[in-house]
Amino acid sequence: MLRGITLELPRGALVRIEGGNGGGKSTLLRLLAGIDAPTEGRITGRPPRTGYVPERFPAALPLTAASYLTHLGRVHGLPRAEAARRAADRLERFGAAAYARTPMVELSKGSSQKVAVAQALLAEPGLLVLDEAWTGLDAPARAELDRAVAERTAAGGTVVFVDHDPRRLAGAADAHHRIEGGTLVPGSVTAGPRVRIHAVGPPGGPLPPGPGVAPAPGGGVLLTVDAEHSDALLRELLTARPPWHIRTVEELR
Amino acid sequence: MTALLRYQGALLLRSQRWLAPLITYAAFVAAGIRPGDPALDSLGFAAAGLVPTTAWLVRISVTGEPDAARDCTAAAAGPVRVHAAALLTGLAGALLAGAAAAAVALLIGDRAGAGAGPAALAGALAVAACALTGAAVGALCSRPLVRRRGYAVLAGTLGSLLAWLLAFSPARGAVSALVTAARSGTAPLPLAPLAGALLLAAAAGAAASLTAARRS
Repeated sequence: MLRGITLELPRGALVRIEGGNGGGKSTLLRLLAGIDAPTEGRITGRPPRTGYVPERFPAALPLTAASYLTHLGRVHGLPRAEAARRAADRLERFGAAAYARTPMVELSKGSSQKVAVAQALLAEPGLLVLDEAWTGLDAPARAELDRAVAERTAAGGTVVFVDHDPRRLAGAADAHHRIEGGTLVPGSVTAGPRVRIHAVGPPGGPLPPGPGVAPAPGGGVLLTVDAEHSDALLRELLTARPPWHIRTVEELR
Repeated sequence: MTALLRYQGALLLRSQRWLAPLITYAAFVAAGIRPGDPALDSLGFAAAGLVPTTAWLVRISVTGEPDAARDCTAAAAGPVRVHAAALLTGLAGALLAGAAAAAVALLIGDRAGAGAGPAALAGALAVAACALTGAAVGALCSRPLVRRRGYAVLAGTLGSLLAWLLAFSPARGAVSALVTAARSGTAPLPLAPLAGALLLAAAAGAAASLTAARRS
């Protein structure tokens, strides 16, 4: 039972939900995915395409993996040929292409979970809800799911996830919320490590674009960016014509 | 909705769980109608047998998808539409079976009194009325309204019996219209029972589908 929850999920955000066993994490995810309706209150603005991955997918379905995924693709609104193409593509991506023609009842737990992940990613969902979706996947498939999550957020989609592993997508989540005592404790937006670059440009040259630019004492500029973007910025500075001179690169804590 | 119906249809067809109700229905019809019987009588019998058959098929259809898979489908299409599609799939299967049984009843029965055309129309209306009534019973006696398997089977059996016996039941209305007409020799037009069955099925289907989104 969850009460008094107010939660806004911005586009492009990766949101982690934490909390103890049986606390209501799965319930919240089901509400967000639209599987259950809240008894009171409303959930508005859900994107038209929602993908959901349950923790376990023991799908005793009388269909092959490819046939199931094609059906689900059409349920997501894709034309038949496109649904079949994407079904094959997602199975390939998660290393399950060999099981395309295998009846779902014969799939191992891990392969079943790959099909579960594949169906949620068929239609490039605007909202992706992952309830311990990594459980049971092999290492390459887990890494592939991490990549798929990054792709969804980069494309402006929202991803909400629960996972027992605290290192899952560590540093990538924009917000960590906690469920405690039947309600949601909003977490602050976690700032990842940042990097400050002290660069000196050619006299009279334009400043590099972007926020976090400030004049440095003693000449040049200080550029502050997220650690994950620092390589790209350095490349841009060094390949500019004429190039910038880099004095220092420093990680901020 | 088309994609959902296609998906639910594939699940029902490939599960082969439709075999038991359809074989039971075929046995019921085979035992009850004889070559040379009045066609309207046989049509009424075939339609009556469709009430529990439809309830059973609808139950199979709404319980065919494992919970985890149903959650994924519900996230994709919404739980109300998913449940409605499952109900319609069961009903469609029952209508096919009923049409086949009615065709047999019409072919081997004695069409002398009523004439083939009017008898066929009366049979089609009665089959539709009974299938819709059975679908209402199935929808009300399956998840999400009745979750325990034992209670659901018991409720479905009782519900089908009541649909046969209660005076205001559309299924009873349609069947007795045919059986009464078989004696007089003029084909009836059981439009009122069909309208009642449509209303009943729509109300039951809406109640079950809207409950599907409520947290269990």
